[in-house]
Amino acid sequence: EFCFSLAGIMLLEVFLVLGTVIIYFLFSKKKEETLPFKDGWWGKGQKPDTKEDTTIRPFKVETTEEELSDLFRRLDQARFTEPLENSCFHYGINSVCLRKVVSYWKNQFNWKKQVEVLNNYPHFKTKIQGIDVHFVHVKPPRLPEGQSAKPLLMVHGWPGSFYEFYKIIPLLTDPASHGLSDEHVFEVICPSIPGYGFSEAPHKKDFNSVSAASIFYELMLRLGFNEFYAQGGDWGWLICTNLAQMAPNHVKGLHLNLASVTKVGFTHLLSVLLGRYFPGLFGFQEEDVRRMFPFLKKGLYRILSESGYAHIQATKPDTVGCGLNDSPVGLAAYILEKFSSWTDLEFQNLEDGGLERKFNLDDLLTNIMIYWVSGCIVSSMRFYKENFQKGIGTQKHEKLTVQVPTGIASFPNEIMHTPQAWAQKKYTNIVSFHFMPRGGHFAALEEPELLAKDILQFVGKVEKEQLWKKK
Amino acid sequence: QTILCFLRSFEYSQKNAVLVPVAALGVGGMLAYWLRSRHKIKTIEMGDGWWGSGERVLKGREDESIRPFKIETSDKEIEDLHRRLDQFRYTPHVEGAAFHYGFNSSYLKKVVSYWRNQFDWRKQVEVLNKYPHFHTTIEGIEIHFIHVKPSYVPHGQAVQPLLMVHGWPGSFYEFYKIIPLLTEPAKHGLNEGDVVFEVICPSIPGYGFSEAPHQQGFDSIATARIFHKLMNRLGFKEYYLQGGDWGSRITTNMAQMLPQSVRGLHLNVVFIGKQGLGRLISIMFGAYVPWLVGLSREDARRIYPFMQKNVYDVLRESGYLHIQATKPDTAGCGLNDSPVGLAAYILEKFSTWTDKSFLHKDDGGLESKYSLDELLTNVMIYWVTSSIVSSMRYYKENFSKDPNLSAYNRFGVHVPTGIAAFPQEILHTPRTWAKDVYKNIITYSYMPRGGHFAAFEEPKLLAQDIMQFVRKVEQL
Repeated sequence: EFCFSLAGIMLLEVFLVLGTVIIYFLFSKKKEETLPFKDGWWGKGQKPDTKEDTTIRPFKVETTEEELSDLFRRLDQARFTEPLENSCFHYGINSVCLRKVVSYWKNQFNWKKQVEVLNNYPHFKTKIQGIDVHFVHVKPPRLPEGQSAKPLLMVHGWPGSFYEFYKIIPLLTDPASHGLSDEHVFEVICPSIPGYGFSEAPHKKDFNSVSAASIFYELMLRLGFNEFYAQGGDWGWLICTNLAQMAPNHVKGLHLNLASVTKVGFTHLLSVLLGRYFPGLFGFQEEDVRRMFPFLKKGLYRILSESGYAHIQATKPDTVGCGLNDSPVGLAAYILEKFSSWTDLEFQNLEDGGLERKFNLDDLLTNIMIYWVSGCIVSSMRFYKENFQKGIGTQKHEKLTVQVPTGIASFPNEIMHTPQAWAQKKYTNIVSFHFMPRGGHFAALEEPELLAKDILQFVGKVEKEQLWKKK
Repeated sequence: QTILCFLRSFEYSQKNAVLVPVAALGVGGMLAYWLRSRHKIKTIEMGDGWWGSGERVLKGREDESIRPFKIETSDKEIEDLHRRLDQFRYTPHVEGAAFHYGFNSSYLKKVVSYWRNQFDWRKQVEVLNKYPHFHTTIEGIEIHFIHVKPSYVPHGQAVQPLLMVHGWPGSFYEFYKIIPLLTEPAKHGLNEGDVVFEVICPSIPGYGFSEAPHQQGFDSIATARIFHKLMNRLGFKEYYLQGGDWGSRITTNMAQMLPQSVRGLHLNVVFIGKQGLGRLISIMFGAYVPWLVGLSREDARRIYPFMQKNVYDVLRESGYLHIQATKPDTAGCGLNDSPVGLAAYILEKFSTWTDKSFLHKDDGGLESKYSLDELLTNVMIYWVTSSIVSSMRYYKENFSKDPNLSAYNRFGVHVPTGIAAFPQEILHTPRTWAKDVYKNIITYSYMPRGGHFAAFEEPKLLAQDIMQFVRKVEQL
């Protein structure tokens, strides 16, 4: 009887171990699963039977007298509300500051000249999954001996646009002329997310980050790139992450200037409560602690006070965007407030929101004009609803990890800091993680040189050790 | 020995003859004081405030005159509006959107077309002026209100003063249909006995024709104080209060501030403060045994399934609240410049908060309960007074000072209270929960139909409930 029960126990143990091993493999396989490509059709009405037109058409940004006079008429008739005394930027954008911006916009800003600036780089449009996708494609002016240009896809976010990359593009396509090492030279592709800028807005529901990633994947293939790098912040972070999850064999490396974590668990809660006292236990570095704690003030309250826009855009985009597509001043107010707070939260204590400390008005207004002339503010806001309406942390792509070599540039004035300890749970192959010395959310526009250097060193690491082959 | 002890105790009692009564008095006095202080109600301190621009002028008294006022318009105002309506830039909605993404732009086109071609603002201004309007300066800002007295009062009938406070995105205009039912009930087939009112509807400072505060910190307590001062200035010592939305919070604060002036408080929306663990547990149990936790069948029907109705639905509908409580100047900027944007923002609430099922309709069900004239008149009040931004600031001022309504729990409400619970209200508050704050509920009625904008949508139902509540209070 004893022998029998002993054997029984041993058998049970063997089964348990086997069972655990199988479950482990099942689970880890699940996590390493690639994100399926999301096919779709976003055009108006029914999908036609004819084959889609896949030509790539050159495109030039244009403006007309009518467009300008309509804009000026609206700027002239703007109705402002006096701010509360001593409120600076605590109630949102200060209308006294806004009046000055509008005055500049009317009298000094030269949209025709800015259109020429926009057209400095070649623009194109091509139809993918039923909608016109716009992108800028910049090739290096010269290539060092024996080198080929590495394709780099850079994706913008909200309330930005492809224009955010105009300062960093030359540093990446022509590093030598800008005092940077030319070991790696890029050809840069900056598309507009469908619903933003000159890309057509989807006519159907459910266009989320995975849909955008699928479209950009098709775009890169159509351009003839089998292997490429991807870079992004804000929505660009999520779209490029999805791209890396979808096509790990095509994405050589993923570089991010934002690395949010949407799937939080018990360990995150624990590390928030105790991380200040036992940083080492949770993998926090000194800089992590400096940026994250006190957590209520730097984490929770900050998110609550800065995420009102995300809440209303994720629930009622057509309502909130309606007036903004009709009032350029309202649009400017809404967008400029973010360029203030998300560059440095301390700017809220300034009467002018610190807007011109890191950016010049021409750049800020050009970005706003892209939203205005394309009438895309409502469709840009819908992206929030399509991504968040099913909840945060519940979607498939949020549960999958990323195995592609990843480089993260962590800027100090980002709204919420994500430590490497948290990021590496999702990005399992972090090749470089650097604390940047300065800069906020709009890194490419605000600190192009810092960001370019980080991208270059990341690509350098990936190329040197041919890391993309080691997946 | 015992005899000796007995003798000794007599000696002691002589000394104690003085001490004992003194001690008894002392203890008795403390007991009486303690009993009295338990019955003494804690009230919110009235305090004081000043909301005008610049420095407060201390010399001389504030101008306390009550000046009649008529709403006016001009050709210029109407032409400017028409020009903006004509130049509106539409964005097509996604296919099958209905009202799920917010205000449906196809239906918006129809509304704008009506607004441009059929809506007659001059005529609506005359409608607005049918009740007498007044302005008076309190704490440095102009307070607007309408004051409607019954045209005929039978001999010996008492006329109760009733202050009715609106909310966001409403205005004093929401009460225009219910006022005649309260000032002249017999004429409108409401025979609620001997209850007749004179109605005062102010505009919250920052809304409509009331001046917006120029200083930070203007919250519901400041509003409550100003409205008490208003009633006092009009000569009323005791009055009834009625409110929904912000009006509910303001009138509640008023009852907590000067309970001796408030004969009764009637609410069609009930807010309660932050809940504790006990409430959470009773909610979980209530899904299976509602009677055990004091919930009626109707309560259970309205609050369950709990997550869906109280968490998801609220999250879906509270985006406006989040952005207005944090960045009001940004959120309102474009709306003060684009009348169509303003209309879309406001009318979306009149759709969803009247009936949640309206989300599925392409036209948001707006015209099934309201006329476009009524809806647009309310929007026009925000437009011609440029008050959208200041109306939104109220959210920030209140939520940053007291987000959890801790004042409610700390002070409670002891005046006679009547609650009308409408079925389509965003959040339902059962009587057992309301009792935590409102200690003296005289009537609690489950209304058969109607949503958030009760006075606007179901004036007769609300009027009847107010009257039966007041009748009960008067009989007390």
